[in-house]
Amino acid sequence: MPSAATATAPALSVRNLTTTFSTPAGRVAAVDSVSFDVMPGEVLGLVGESGSGKSVTLRSIMRLVHAPGEVTGSAHWQGRDLLTLNERDLRKVRGGEIAMIFQEPMTALNPVLPVGLQIEENLHAHTTLDRAGRDRRARELMDLVGIPEAGRRLHDYPHQFSGGMRQRAMIAISLASNPRLLLADEPTTALDVTIQDQILKLILELKRELGMSVVFVTHDLGVVAATCDRLAVMYAGRIVETGPVSTVFAEPRHAYTRGLLGSVPQSGAERTMLLSIEGTPPSLAAIPPGCAFNPRCSFATDICRTERPALLEIAPTHLVACHHHDRVAAAGSPVAEVAAP
Amino acid sequence: MNTDVLISAEAVTKEFRLPHSFGRRLAGQPPLAVHALNGVSFELHRGETLGIVGESGCGKSTLARCLVRLLDCDDGKVMFEGKDIATLAGADRRAFNRRVQMIFQDPYSSLNPRMTVRQVLAEALSVHRMRPRVEIPHRIAELLDLVRLPADAADRYPHEFSGGQRQRIGIARALAVEPEVLVADELVSALDVSVQAQVVNLLLQLQEQLQLTVVFVAHDLRLVRHISHRVAVMYLGRIVEIGPTEQLFSAPRHPYTRALLDAAPELNPGHRSTRVAARGELPSPIHLPKGCAFNTRCPFAFDRCFVERPELTDRGSLHEAACHLTEFGIPSAVPLAEDAPAP
Amino acid sequence: MTLTAAVTPARVRRARLFRLPVTLIAGGIILLISLFLGIFPWLVAPYDPTAFDYNALLGPPSPAHLLGADSFGRDVLSRVIYAYGLDLQIAVFATVPAFIVGSLVGALVGYAGNVVEAVFGRIVDAIITFPFLVLVIAIVAVLGPGLNNMYVAVFILDWVFYARLVSAEVRVQKRLDYADAGRVMGYRPMRIILRHLLPNSISPAIVYLMTDMALAILLGSSLGYLGLGAQPPAAEWGVQIADGKNFMNTAWWIGVFPGIAIVVTGLGFSLLGDGLAELLRTKK
Repeated sequence: MPSAATATAPALSVRNLTTTFSTPAGRVAAVDSVSFDVMPGEVLGLVGESGSGKSVTLRSIMRLVHAPGEVTGSAHWQGRDLLTLNERDLRKVRGGEIAMIFQEPMTALNPVLPVGLQIEENLHAHTTLDRAGRDRRARELMDLVGIPEAGRRLHDYPHQFSGGMRQRAMIAISLASNPRLLLADEPTTALDVTIQDQILKLILELKRELGMSVVFVTHDLGVVAATCDRLAVMYAGRIVETGPVSTVFAEPRHAYTRGLLGSVPQSGAERTMLLSIEGTPPSLAAIPPGCAFNPRCSFATDICRTERPALLEIAPTHLVACHHHDRVAAAGSPVAEVAAP
Repeated sequence: MNTDVLISAEAVTKEFRLPHSFGRRLAGQPPLAVHALNGVSFELHRGETLGIVGESGCGKSTLARCLVRLLDCDDGKVMFEGKDIATLAGADRRAFNRRVQMIFQDPYSSLNPRMTVRQVLAEALSVHRMRPRVEIPHRIAELLDLVRLPADAADRYPHEFSGGQRQRIGIARALAVEPEVLVADELVSALDVSVQAQVVNLLLQLQEQLQLTVVFVAHDLRLVRHISHRVAVMYLGRIVEIGPTEQLFSAPRHPYTRALLDAAPELNPGHRSTRVAARGELPSPIHLPKGCAFNTRCPFAFDRCFVERPELTDRGSLHEAACHLTEFGIPSAVPLAEDAPAP
Repeated sequence: MTLTAAVTPARVRRARLFRLPVTLIAGGIILLISLFLGIFPWLVAPYDPTAFDYNALLGPPSPAHLLGADSFGRDVLSRVIYAYGLDLQIAVFATVPAFIVGSLVGALVGYAGNVVEAVFGRIVDAIITFPFLVLVIAIVAVLGPGLNNMYVAVFILDWVFYARLVSAEVRVQKRLDYADAGRVMGYRPMRIILRHLLPNSISPAIVYLMTDMALAILLGSSLGYLGLGAQPPAAEWGVQIADGKNFMNTAWWIGVFPGIAIVVTGLGFSLLGDGLAELLRTKK
């Protein structure tokens, strides 16, 4: 658990979040006892590959998981547990204090409503502005996110925007009521790299201006390096390591984190073999006993096959769930040189 | 490096017509078209890995398909060992197919769902008469071993494999006909990061082992940099820069290449900047900008860029760039190119 | 560096077999019974279907004749059972040739695309605009009554439906990468169409085939009822219903039981088709 030495209280505090689904193969945990904190004003990266449970985690927090999924645990926001809030209060929080943006803006935006109207809907639900006030605010927002000719574009439909612009429109909608927390589910994965760069820098700039916290779900460690302050690495629905980005990159303490870092090609080592992790992630219905990563881990011993490691704090704010984290640290980081941001 | 030229593209042009709308018909205008390739020229040398990188709409996938003749060029030609591939027919064409193979991006649609791995490989081996009938099972086992798949994979169907394994099957299929050139169109883009590394490693090993020439088409700059000897950067259907990998990445001579490099996230948390690498959006390939295709977004564009389209010109040691700013990016005493006034 | 195959273990594959859709199992059972009756009617039927029993003319259901007897004293139950063979034959002969030819044509048309598809589309439109039954009757009237002519008539019209289904699916499949992979491999178009595209495009046609078989029985029975299909004294449900139409008030059993047999068998095909559709859908 995070150290009590931190003076400021976390903005979002997730404890033992577990989301299970019933499948033909039995009850399966997409998210398994996940705990993490998000401090005010920080960007937390939630990193993992497909099937790691990172998107489901976000959706569970926002209570977007439908039956047959079941969510247990707690997610404390501003002193209240989101998972037990009544419908009315939850609606106030969703879109108001906590906003979410998705990977595919075309499916996340309503295709039959003009973008301006969608912004105004948000404003109508979460602010007390009158019609004129909402219109003004909508224009401000479109400008804020860098959509040129804001006034005219308010009347356009989502399909009239390009991919990057649609993503900006989605950000405009989600920021309409000045949320304190932004949950971003792979918002740039589907975008070209130069557009991704623009959107990432925009999110960072807005975070600074509006004082938001951000939870950024991604599979790209490069994006994490460029935007996040802390990261949490997920595997098979569990958190395996969390900590400040520069610390974790310089000294990964979990074999999976180390493997992920090594899988990304870096300059200076061309045409050499990448550090790759053998095997593939387990099916959620057949997670190995003990540590979920043990069949693929080169540091695994007997205890790893029987006892599931707990998430332990090994240094202030650096937590890892591994029986042999010392040996992993001793093996060194695959990242060439890491300077603190 | 062997300078033996295997494939050369000469001013390859390809467009995709859009349905001819009624309004345009009445106005007597020709139908709109997506200009996927607008005069692409390059040479592929035996034994090298040429990376082709670019964002969406740059035409790299279209180019890949033209190289293997899945698509025919509208203008220009693709030459294989000095012969225009568009003129090949019958047995010659099949021979060409054998020697230049392609691996596809989507692991889920690139394999026939109703054929076992054995059937897929056996078909390739028998149609091209690679081995006599009795030796086929043995050869199949060899191929599976080559791509690091277990022997019992032969009798399974594609849906029983993961994405990474399916890509390996695709590689095995391509290798079954013992090609000289492999065109990999976004080979690992649809795979998880850790699986990407496995497949990339496999490709590097196979290239060494079998002396393959590889054309590696991708949008991931880091991957292309890692695997290629030379890199071609494409934008809106043209090659804007081409040269040896390290040279190109350490000292890009085209503003777009510089923008791509600045935008690609590196694994270095200390190296952050708030400045955007490239402003603006990609123009539509239906209505290409006049002059240089990058002029709508280039911070260094001047009047000539809006009128005259730059051709690929020499920048020294096999490095070419298509930019009117011939001095751009020279790593010398010249102050940061951004601060220098336009010539 | 060898990788362990994270491939579906045999145990899981076998377990999946027992998750077949209920409709598939129900339809399968009905049709298996029908098939048995069709092939081995003598094992079940108490009497010869053409045997006259003058003591039981128009006799109601009784211990001797479980489903009654018709105007010639023939046992209704036996005739219904013996009709299975003939009606199943109709189901198959009236549909399978159309299925085979239609699917092949559809695959070729779907692959050829453009002009060929446009022309084909117009032919399809022309044929399906006409009421099916009326056309069949017209053709049979020209060629003369009898089952063989009915098969010809149905074939002329029915292949179009299969062709349309398969060409639509082939149009989709040919854009997928595995089709391109075949072309890059240098395979001839015929091989790509027959070996790669057709097996992946045939499912909608197979499902339709099941429904078509049910419809074929109805058609055969309708024509038999009209005297244009199977000819008396053949044991065929339509013929039996025709026999029974004059006695609906006095000896309803003559026409009703064959009717029930039609319904049940048709239902069997329908259920099987539904089940197959579901199975093929989930397999994707």
